[in-house]
Amino acid sequence: MVLPLHRVNVLTGIKSAKVLEDPAEYAGWIRRAKRPLLVLGPKLAEISLNGKSLLEYALEIAKAANIPTCATAHIKGKMAELGATPDCQYDLVEIANRLNDPEWQGVRKEGNHDLVILFGMRTDMGNQALSNLKHFAPHLKTMTLCKYVYPHADYSLPNFRKDEQWKGFLENLITSLKEEK
Amino acid sequence: MAKVVETKETKKRQEVNRIIRAEDQWEPIGATPMPEITDLRNWDMRLLKTYKPWYAPFCDLCCFCTYGKCDLTECRRGACGIDISGQQGRIILLACCMGMSAHGGHARHIIDYLIEKYGEDLKIDLGDSVAVEAPHIRTVLGLKPETLADLRTAIEYVERELVHLISSLHTGQEGSYMDYESKALHASMLDHVAMEAADIAQIVGFKFPTSVADTPLVDAGLASLDSSKPIVLVVGHNPASSTNIIDYLRENDLYDKVEIGGICCTALETTRYSDRAKIVGPLSRQLYYVRTGMADVIMTDEQCIRTDIAEEAKKVGSALIATSDKACYGLEDASERDVDEIVKEMVEEGKQFLILDHEKAGEVAVKVALKLAPKRKKELISEAEAQELAKACRECEMCERVCPNLFSIGHGIRQVAEGNFEPIREIFSQCIGCGKCEEECPRNVPIFKIMQVAASKETFKVRAGRGPIMDTEIRNVGAPIVLGTIPGVIAFVGCSNYPDIDDVAEMVEEFARRKYIVVLTGCAAMVAGMKKDENGLTVYEKYPPSFDAGGVVNVGSCVSNAHITGAAMKIANIFATLPLRGNYEVIADYILNRVGAVGVAWGAMSQKAASIGTGCNRVGIPVVLGPHSSKYRRLYLSKKGEDDWTVMDGRKAELVDTGEPSPEHLAYVTESKEKAMVLIAKLCIRKNDTPQGRAVKLNHYISLYKKYMGGGLPEDLDLYVRTDKDLPIVYKREAMAYLKEVGWKPKPVLSLPTLIGTYPSKVSLEAVIH
Repeated sequence: MVLPLHRVNVLTGIKSAKVLEDPAEYAGWIRRAKRPLLVLGPKLAEISLNGKSLLEYALEIAKAANIPTCATAHIKGKMAELGATPDCQYDLVEIANRLNDPEWQGVRKEGNHDLVILFGMRTDMGNQALSNLKHFAPHLKTMTLCKYVYPHADYSLPNFRKDEQWKGFLENLITSLKEEK
Repeated sequence: MAKVVETKETKKRQEVNRIIRAEDQWEPIGATPMPEITDLRNWDMRLLKTYKPWYAPFCDLCCFCTYGKCDLTECRRGACGIDISGQQGRIILLACCMGMSAHGGHARHIIDYLIEKYGEDLKIDLGDSVAVEAPHIRTVLGLKPETLADLRTAIEYVERELVHLISSLHTGQEGSYMDYESKALHASMLDHVAMEAADIAQIVGFKFPTSVADTPLVDAGLASLDSSKPIVLVVGHNPASSTNIIDYLRENDLYDKVEIGGICCTALETTRYSDRAKIVGPLSRQLYYVRTGMADVIMTDEQCIRTDIAEEAKKVGSALIATSDKACYGLEDASERDVDEIVKEMVEEGKQFLILDHEKAGEVAVKVALKLAPKRKKELISEAEAQELAKACRECEMCERVCPNLFSIGHGIRQVAEGNFEPIREIFSQCIGCGKCEEECPRNVPIFKIMQVAASKETFKVRAGRGPIMDTEIRNVGAPIVLGTIPGVIAFVGCSNYPDIDDVAEMVEEFARRKYIVVLTGCAAMVAGMKKDENGLTVYEKYPPSFDAGGVVNVGSCVSNAHITGAAMKIANIFATLPLRGNYEVIADYILNRVGAVGVAWGAMSQKAASIGTGCNRVGIPVVLGPHSSKYRRLYLSKKGEDDWTVMDGRKAELVDTGEPSPEHLAYVTESKEKAMVLIAKLCIRKNDTPQGRAVKLNHYISLYKKYMGGGLPEDLDLYVRTDKDLPIVYKREAMAYLKEVGWKPKPVLSLPTLIGTYPSKVSLEAVIH
């Protein structure tokens, strides 16, 4: 069990995330999903890697794998500045509340999602939303793209010590997703 | 058998009638005077049908008994049979019982203390403008309290219920998460009774302001205390001891010679007693201020005090007196000892004492402060010293790992080493003051000391807490609130710690400017006044103190929260003439469907916040929480348009499917203040709004959405438009185009929406018609 960076997220339990750092493996899990969903948090607009905002990375990932996006908090406004529109708007707890209903038809009305990818949340709130999904949405897998370990996810990145590692991961993930198109 | 049950029920009712003096005919008695755990269960289940509990377990295990630890993931049950939902409901109930008993203990102590001082027949008189003195006690118990003894009766009832509630937490008792939630709602309703009893006792016992809006503006801020004088710092919530300090200073003509400042709610209580006392700051500034060593004497009472405060005080040479049996810190009880002996040992030997005699504690505090202050050096460090200390930091990130607010503190410290003080100022404004960073630092960097260069040296103005909303104010605003033309009442309550201390002031400004009624309590009330605009004014100086459109009202401390929910009850009573007496369901139903009030506990930390918020929920008031509050692990969420929003049209006695999710959620966490503001405006919408009122509310919802969500119209706008008359003129064309695009159809406008009649209840539909 890998410890999360933020101790507030230390797991008190048995079932913990599988920590992966191979972008190809991540891309594989995304590709295998029939109805993935990318949930975008407000931190995406606050962090940039070498001058490129995380939101731009997120939008590239969504485009590369044709994943619908869900805008939480006030990130929709930041997306608009980049000329992007989310496929839906729910706060993090709202989208978790939908996802844990197996009858929900999902963002594209094609049935509930089978993979949800969280990107750009406060880690404490993100991990809590993932806890809800771990316990009450057994029909889907969860994944995170932030540079921290999220114990309640199914698949999480490690605690990247350097932003360069994170940047490299995200770029390679985008490349892998494009290659598999 | 039926006869036996009837006899039992009759006897129980006779006992209730005796306690609440049923023969007093001030109002007819409703269906549930002095309700027991299951008496309002059907109301709870009706609420929870729409607002289902949403759980985010903070811990996957249960470790309550020796059968465990039990892993509850993936539908596993514990050895006792409990599942993960049941365990979450259980923990929520536990939190609500803890919160309720903290206020209940406060109430019990202060009532007993004042009865000892003034006798149990001391009259409850809240002034010329407050005739409905205790809406919670009237509504829940059915009692119209006239004396301190009646307040004690209210607390005895709360205590009786608490035993049953706590009992249900024991292994092998309750098994249903829904019933745990119903019990949590019950505990939290009682919390508001306890808070109300505590604050009424304080108002009459200490002669706090009442029946007045324009209370004094008091000095606030870390720099508000004159460090050249002896300083007594009071910390906690209960004013029994701090008021005695002031009495001693007044009686001995020493008030000009000693500074009294407070942290957390005791600061608010003390400034209600004397406007010369100062508000040092909220809970999150406690450890910081203690570690500056500015206080010559620290006097603690109860609730939200650092449990290591005795050790911290010793480290900086501040004397410490504990005054509550709830927080003794292992100290010697000197309650029976001679004052001068105690003072001598504190000054010469650095001893700390527990003194449960409040008068004696007040005298000791002043005498010790006067003797100790000349011997102590009180200085904050310079920027050059901070820079030197910061050089030890290697930015190892250990501080960030343990920070509950997830800050990169090390980065700020390293910047100080480089001579850049801006990042540490920003971090200080977001610091919740837990001290974990310093504890974890492998190089023992004195982070809190370094932060002394970051703390504001300004003083601010905060309006002293004013207690109950006046009946006269309710008469003026009842109609515009219920019809919707005053767009809402927003209550910023409780702790203000997370995520940024400036958030509350910014949100208050936004809603006051928009002519909502803004009410505040506790640490939120303090920090709202600790931000100045470009003209150097705080929100208390900019906006009127009246409970009216655009007013900013500091109601008081944590226990004053009862006056906020009480104001909503008074609207039902004074404006709508619904009887309060033992009539909880009718009043809660009225508030849920007609009073556009929203609670915001943005920086909530404690179990008290859990019970305050859950108490708001039972009485029909939704609550918005900050992001860290996801750690409370339970919310009450609807699924918006997909849920059933059928209500009864009370006048026609017909069920109507409104399709309108108002209010959309009852307990909600959001990640940013920007989104919170949009949501708050939406949560003020009620089914009873007139078209004119709805247009006002939608105007703010749309406008805030455009401001913070990057333009456009809210995706769910169609759900809140009943006819085109609901649309604000300024957005009408744009909104109509959107409504056409999404296939909107007109919906009914109800004049008397109610849930009564939609679920099994002893209350008849006639009871809601006024």
